[in-house]
Amino acid sequence: MKPIFTLICCFLLITISNSQERYLTKNGAINFFSKAPMEDITADNNQVLSIVDATNNKMAISILMKSFLFEKALMQEHFNENYVESDKFPKATFKGTILNFDAINEVASKQQVKGILTIHGVEKEITIDANFTKTVDSILVDGDFVINLEDFEVEIPAVVAKNIAKNIKVSFKFNHKPYKK
Amino acid sequence: MKFKKIILGILVVGIVGAFVAYKIYNKPHLDITEASADITISANNLMQDFSSDENTANTKYLDKIIQVKGVISETKIENEIGIITLKTNDNFGSILCHLSKEATKKINTLKEGQTITVKGICTGYLMDVILVKAEII
Repeated sequence: MKPIFTLICCFLLITISNSQERYLTKNGAINFFSKAPMEDITADNNQVLSIVDATNNKMAISILMKSFLFEKALMQEHFNENYVESDKFPKATFKGTILNFDAINEVASKQQVKGILTIHGVEKEITIDANFTKTVDSILVDGDFVINLEDFEVEIPAVVAKNIAKNIKVSFKFNHKPYKK
Repeated sequence: MKFKKIILGILVVGIVGAFVAYKIYNKPHLDITEASADITISANNLMQDFSSDENTANTKYLDKIIQVKGVISETKIENEIGIITLKTNDNFGSILCHLSKEATKKINTLKEGQTITVKGICTGYLMDVILVKAEII
């Protein structure tokens, strides 16, 4: 009986170590930058939740709009109340697939992630180039892309058209760790 | 004479207007250390409110200064920001407190298992309830 029991334990252990295929970060960083003739505006969010599922190459990201912190309180107020309406749409999300997940290794490589980005309640299909580095205990993803405010129905009044760029550069950095619990 | 007075009047209004506009533009962020908490609650109850009904909790807590009492499960510093995790009864979620610059300096004095009170602005719920610009009390 005993060897069988040991064997079962071994199998259990193997499945447990194998199930370690989810990588997650709760402190992902996203920054956006708007370059306009009147002023440059930048905001940081360091509370982004990002999950990489290595079993099906999926990636899911959740962002709280109110977590974007601006240099000036007035900018933050306008951003939340007038532009992204974060009371109505508190979260932005991205759900996508890493196209060539198997190619990711210790050496940083550029990979494409294709998926649906939802901001301001508007869904849009998007393909993003990102740098992936995978080590034993982490998956690091970073890069940047440009979003167009009109695509997400974010309206900028004519009065401040010179202060806010139509195309916003978004930079991101997620250091995923194996998910335990 | 009359003409001069009008010009002077316009000038004064203009200067005052510009000053007010400048003040509004540079309106300072809310000072968490000075401001009193809108809501005082335990880490467990806060988590429960969000996990049971996120929408109601959003209207109740978002953008408010919340004072939370709880037990530390983890402290760390990432991107120069101190992060305190407070335990809850929930299996997955906890309260994530991102500290202000000043509070980050004090993070080394904190120990796991210690009960503390943190005051910060609630920005929402992902897996965890998130507070930003938090101060240790």
